[in-house]
Amino acid sequence: MLKKITAVMLIFSAIILAAAPVYSQSATVIAAGKKEGKVIVYGSLETDSAESAFGAFKKKTGIEVDYWRASATKVMDRALSETRAGKPLFDIILTNDNPMQIMFKEGLFAKYDSPSAKDFTKDSIDPNLGPRYRNVVIGVVYNKDVLKPADAPKSLEDLVKPQYRGKLVMPDPTQHTTTTQWVASLDKLMGKEKADKFIRDLAAQKPILVESLLPAAERVATGETPIAITYVKYVYIFGQRGAPLDYLRLGKFMGDGHYLGLNNKAPHGNAGKVFIDYFLGAENMVMMAKLGEFVNRKGVYPPLPDADKIQFVEMYDLDSKKFAEKKKEYQQIFLH
Amino acid sequence: MSVNQTIIAGEPRLTSAWNRSRLGAFLSQPISWVFIIVGGIIAFLSLYPTYFLFYGSLTDAPLGVPGHFTLQNYVKAYSDPEAYSLLLNSFIFGLGASGLSIVFALALAWITIRTDAPMRRLFELTAIIPNILPPILVSISWVMLLNPSNGLINGLFVKLFGMEKGPFNIYSMPGLIFVEGLILTPLAFLIVAAAMKSMDPSLEESAKTLGSGEFGVMSRITFPLIRPAILAAGTLNFVRAIESFDTPAIIALPARIEVFTTKIWREALGSFPTNHNLAAAYGVGILFVALVFVYLYRRFTSQVESFSTVTGKGFRPHQIELGPWRYAATGVALFLLILLVVLPILVLSLVAILPYYHVPTWQTWHNLTLSHFQYVWATPRVHKAFINSLILALLGATLCMLLASLAAYITVRTKIAGRALIEGLVFIPWAFPGTAMALGLLWAYVDFPIPVYATIWIILIAYVTRFLPYGLRAVTSTIIQVHKELEEASIVCGAGFLTTFRRVLIPMMRPGVMAGWIILVTIFMREFSATLFLYSPGAEPLGPLLYFLYLDGMRGRVAAIGLVISLISVILIAIAQRYSRWDTN
Repeated sequence: MLKKITAVMLIFSAIILAAAPVYSQSATVIAAGKKEGKVIVYGSLETDSAESAFGAFKKKTGIEVDYWRASATKVMDRALSETRAGKPLFDIILTNDNPMQIMFKEGLFAKYDSPSAKDFTKDSIDPNLGPRYRNVVIGVVYNKDVLKPADAPKSLEDLVKPQYRGKLVMPDPTQHTTTTQWVASLDKLMGKEKADKFIRDLAAQKPILVESLLPAAERVATGETPIAITYVKYVYIFGQRGAPLDYLRLGKFMGDGHYLGLNNKAPHGNAGKVFIDYFLGAENMVMMAKLGEFVNRKGVYPPLPDADKIQFVEMYDLDSKKFAEKKKEYQQIFLH
Repeated sequence: MSVNQTIIAGEPRLTSAWNRSRLGAFLSQPISWVFIIVGGIIAFLSLYPTYFLFYGSLTDAPLGVPGHFTLQNYVKAYSDPEAYSLLLNSFIFGLGASGLSIVFALALAWITIRTDAPMRRLFELTAIIPNILPPILVSISWVMLLNPSNGLINGLFVKLFGMEKGPFNIYSMPGLIFVEGLILTPLAFLIVAAAMKSMDPSLEESAKTLGSGEFGVMSRITFPLIRPAILAAGTLNFVRAIESFDTPAIIALPARIEVFTTKIWREALGSFPTNHNLAAAYGVGILFVALVFVYLYRRFTSQVESFSTVTGKGFRPHQIELGPWRYAATGVALFLLILLVVLPILVLSLVAILPYYHVPTWQTWHNLTLSHFQYVWATPRVHKAFINSLILALLGATLCMLLASLAAYITVRTKIAGRALIEGLVFIPWAFPGTAMALGLLWAYVDFPIPVYATIWIILIAYVTRFLPYGLRAVTSTIIQVHKELEEASIVCGAGFLTTFRRVLIPMMRPGVMAGWIILVTIFMREFSATLFLYSPGAEPLGPLLYFLYLDGMRGRVAAIGLVISLISVILIAIAQRYSRWDTN
């Protein structure tokens, strides 16, 4: 009976979501956006989430999305270069906090208060960039076939125990900027003194270093290395394809926030506004959560066990000088 | 006024008249106009984006922002003693990988072109396949085969011989050299094979008549004759290895081996925000190394006449009859083909039918899927990318080879002052790390008076700019072998330069031209580092699509698209190779 009620409620919610206007924008802007016909997005949103979101947006509005996908740094490089040359081709930027803040300071974004922003929690609204639409959460992931849950570490501190020496893979903190940020922000979880010791002990474990968070997750999925420091969402994404992954319930998890911004010289400004309203709206946020994303809309979670218990801690924003210093420091600790 | 004074006073006028008449004589030659046009195009393609990078290396502001002159980037890049120890690592890696690629390519080319070994045509066709696959996929395949924890080949050894652990460790300097050597082999094969196809067998036959054995002929005649091609391939591959980042990122990083590009990545390209100025200063260092190699190459091949083997006397390269040894030759070629093609393609095929990227277990066989191929079949975005890439590859490779053939003719055949500059200019954009050069191209063309930015033309410009050295090397090594008597005969018979070039030289250089064309088509079908920054959203070629899917962990889709690209490229190669044979002339 309970299952039937849940199913009816889900169908009912889906009908309401589908029938509701996708945006609460004025009819003039919507009509102008449709007339512009397309919106150009530069971003680092992953292919599956992007294809689902953009496909649904086109179906709903008839507006085409031309997407240029790259890493956050490359997105920023292209957007800044085009803007400085006076020929920005993009309408929307969709990437993570640090580069968004830099682009904001360079004056790339127009102020736009989307009506969809009201459904986000207060602590997820940035005064400059608006709603932080998703968090990318970093944790400790392990392969259940190689390491039985009982033998798995239980906390971050456990990772430096002798039995896990050589069994951990992580991105190289001297090269991968998000990992540099993660290591540099560990004091937010354990205090400065403990964090400093933990970092040195972690390096002494001689973890296998790879180029970024995805290869770390892949090595765990293949069983080549049993434990990884990587994005928690991979447990769900790889799990959907059959990988035997689980993650440590650490309580507090660090990560980065993602935002979107409207170019103040957008070639398709109205279509851009319609896109932002749809993207931050309920329908898209629910769909992205279903694909494993930690979206910030109230009460929406990815289908990952205990996702609602994850307490998100945003990592420090580091400037270029601090990044260089930290990379140098970690080079001494991790590579020598 | 004395006579002497009159002469001295009139000298400037005389000198200027003499200069004018020299200039007039120079301009009256059609080849001079070809030199001016080709040299002008190459100088523009090379120097215009490079200017932004050089400028960037000497300023303290990002590209496009006015800054102050500084040498700080060079001080930072080269005052650190670590840079030199890493350069040494890069040097060992580059020499090892290019050396290995030459050994493999020589063996394969000799067996397939010069001997009567069974199945040689099949080997010739398939040897180029690894060039089609994105290098990153080849590296990943070998990690899956040879990683010490659960590599498939290591696992096989453990099972078969009851070993405690597998004998191979990919995460080592030999592992790094081995994989990069395999990645570089097709390029060396194409250049060396083109030179072997153009060889006049009468020299070998004379040596035999004079009593030399097969080994003596090979070491004293064959090898010296193809030396320009070996050096050309070695130069290209050495520089390509020392500037490569993909293979070191996948294999050297877990092995904790650092090379020069790791340092460039950490401090410049991978820093946040990207430090273009420092990356440009590092790029200038690599450029210097590359130009030293170009100089050495030119010195080794300066006596071009001694390499001329294609003369006016009709010939057809003969095949060496190996007798019973032909099966051994086939065995060697087969072994190399297994390393180069069969194993990586098998792993890719496996990845393309796995639900996610992992080492297969018995459970895996129940979960195999064709969903990745369905994605390729049913996604309009993929179809559009195939069409865009095919247009870019065919058009780009043809344009590039046309320019390369003219440039090769000028540098090898003429005595025009400044011809050596063309070769140096061609190498400049290629010596910068791919991402740094892409940014130079972006900045150069984003504000260009002719609106090429975000059109297909800018990608074509980028391809010709960056990959012209490949075309030039392939065609130069062949043109060196074509004796001047053929074009002299054509000119004596009244043909002009263009007719001689079209009707005599191009057909004689055909193996080199086609080899270069094949190299370029296979690279352009999957190129991403330059394309990524320059393509217009909505007109995505395959390279960026593969890159995005790879970035998002969709190895299955990448492998499926990679296999389809391989199939299309093999068809193109088969057609091209048919036209590259002498016997079809």
